[in-house]
Amino acid sequence: MSTEKASTITLTSNDGVSIEVDRQVAERSMLIKNMMEDLGEGATATAVPIPNVNESVLKKVIEWCEHHKNDPQPAQDDDSDSRKKTTDIEEWDQKFMQVDQEMLFEIILASNYLDIKPLLDVGCKTVANMIKGKSPEEIRKTFNITNDFTPEEEEQIRRENEWAEDR
Amino acid sequence: MVDGRRPVHLNALPDEVLQHILFYLSPRDTLLNVQLVSKRFNRLGSEPLLWRYHCRVQFQYWDSKHRIKHKFLGNVGDVDWKTLYTHRRKVDAQTTEILNSILEDQVNRIKKSNLIGEFGYDAKDTLLRHCHTSEAAEDVLARRYYATAVLDHVHRSEALGEWAKLAKGESVPLERALGSFDLFVLHDHYGDLLEICDLFDELVKRLRIERPDLDQLSTRKKAIAVASFLRTHNLTGLDSELAYRDLQNNYIGIALQDREHPSLPLISVAIFCILARRLGLDARCCGMPNHVHAMIFPNPFETLDGRDPNTGDLGPMYLDPYRSDLEVPTAHLRETLASWGIRSVDFARFIADSSTASLVLRTSRNILATVHEFRGQGGNMENTGHPTIRLYANPFADMDNAFYSALWANFLLSNPVSRSDPHNQRQFIPLILERFERLYPMDASLIEQYICPLFNNPSNAEHWELHEALRVVRAADQSPRQLKPRDTRAARERVKYKVGQVFRHKRYNYTAVITGWDIECGMNSDWIAHNNVDSLSRGRYQSFYHAL
Repeated sequence: MSTEKASTITLTSNDGVSIEVDRQVAERSMLIKNMMEDLGEGATATAVPIPNVNESVLKKVIEWCEHHKNDPQPAQDDDSDSRKKTTDIEEWDQKFMQVDQEMLFEIILASNYLDIKPLLDVGCKTVANMIKGKSPEEIRKTFNITNDFTPEEEEQIRRENEWAEDR
Repeated sequence: MVDGRRPVHLNALPDEVLQHILFYLSPRDTLLNVQLVSKRFNRLGSEPLLWRYHCRVQFQYWDSKHRIKHKFLGNVGDVDWKTLYTHRRKVDAQTTEILNSILEDQVNRIKKSNLIGEFGYDAKDTLLRHCHTSEAAEDVLARRYYATAVLDHVHRSEALGEWAKLAKGESVPLERALGSFDLFVLHDHYGDLLEICDLFDELVKRLRIERPDLDQLSTRKKAIAVASFLRTHNLTGLDSELAYRDLQNNYIGIALQDREHPSLPLISVAIFCILARRLGLDARCCGMPNHVHAMIFPNPFETLDGRDPNTGDLGPMYLDPYRSDLEVPTAHLRETLASWGIRSVDFARFIADSSTASLVLRTSRNILATVHEFRGQGGNMENTGHPTIRLYANPFADMDNAFYSALWANFLLSNPVSRSDPHNQRQFIPLILERFERLYPMDASLIEQYICPLFNNPSNAEHWELHEALRVVRAADQSPRQLKPRDTRAARERVKYKVGQVFRHKRYNYTAVITGWDIECGMNSDWIAHNNVDSLSRGRYQSFYHAL
């Protein structure tokens, strides 16, 4: 294991670009890490295709993994919803996430596919911070979402939830 | 598809990712904004998983009616988590509203406290928040005081609920039955019934880590392992027998949490038995007079050493985890009993196991004994070698609370029928009523729930007394307090000194501070006669000061 730390692997984006990465960096992705473990020694020799991610997004994701390569692995407990979640994001990640919406969602999708939980968390927090405190109409406008409610339906939900107003 | 690329926007993310995002939003944002965005967001914003998360992280304490542990462990779809969350938020808002009105107006405080009391344990999170109001708040003292008072009431009703179950013959775990005494003195501290359970679960984990071989041991060796675990960590017994009568030794929650882990034999044995039962042993408390012991019974169809029942003794073993981790031979117990002049035919009765109810009663009598002894020595706290009261808060108030808990335990668990029994439950009623009137007026609801049903015959004198006491307390609560203006002409002319002034007494030469005054002597005639007030130069009709 320790002797392989310095080795590299090649990832191929869905638009056919190959990128060479330190194995340690690539293994921030649980998908790749598990794949490497399953395939064993010989796996480093062949390029790993990443079918859902294009070059620019893949580079961005690798940039994140590079910066966070020494972070401890997140705990693998499934009981994560028993702890209170915060939307605090560390400074470097905030800067990293200053991209257009399309890139933001691409990063989220890629981290979801590649199973990089901390990056997915940062992406989701970023979106949550964009939603926070906005009215329904402002949210629709920000994210280009169509209102598919009838006025009656909308009114009914408003009435059901209006108790949350006081405070 | 434009140029072979998806035009990715928020709506293109899969449900699981949107769900993930919603976990980072406040319930308020979700309810008032996100759910109104579109049908898809409405659906995602109602997911039980999301609301279970909010229920879990926003509320710590739940009323037992929810069976919340069971719900959290169960299938997420089986519970309407959003409705449950809504319920809790409404209880929270109402509790705060009622508490505010208790602070604003002196009238109807009992009624209002009982309204909060009806929410039961669901109100605890909110009350705790008010107990910890920041120093900066304008009404911090009053708010903390009343929030604690209502929380104490909620704790007491929880405790009485446990004992009432026990009185009905229902089974109540020993830790809950004994932990109910803690509830009377707990205030805003850690260590309620569920938390005591958690502390035991923690001990089980620790013990299993220290003794990985535990499950390979015979019943006898396992019992010894439990006792020596408790003794090595000083979790049972007392450091000094001088402190034997200290009030805190009666509280299982304090014994588990205090650094010194003080406990009387009964509590030590209870801790041992509760832990041993969690490890699968048939552990019971033996009600030896003077000194409770622990008993371990063999598993069915084998001896304590795991042998064939035909070849060995099927009796229990005895331990004294208060003093040691060694087995106490039965012969030794018999000798002790004989030395007290107990006839050998009665031995079996004395070394048999005790019911949970009788352990609660025994604890309540230990508490009463300490309080009596404490009062007997004039409440001198410095006096070493005499009982001390180090519970959670003010020792004098907690002594009252402990005493009150002992009265209730005796009332609920004593023999109700036999009038010849000196511990007949009725004798505790006037004692409870006296304290209710003086210290716990908001327990009117508890008196109505637990005492009144015994006296439903209106021609009975006790019925009349009871209802009169309740009526007087409630009436006092419902009538507005009279304002007595202090800044009158008479006061200005006749009262020379002000509250806060420090003075030296001309005749007796002591220094004191004025804490109050009356225009003329406001004490009763006994006091006036006793202090020869009328022999003063201007008699009782001159200003009198309260000094400290």
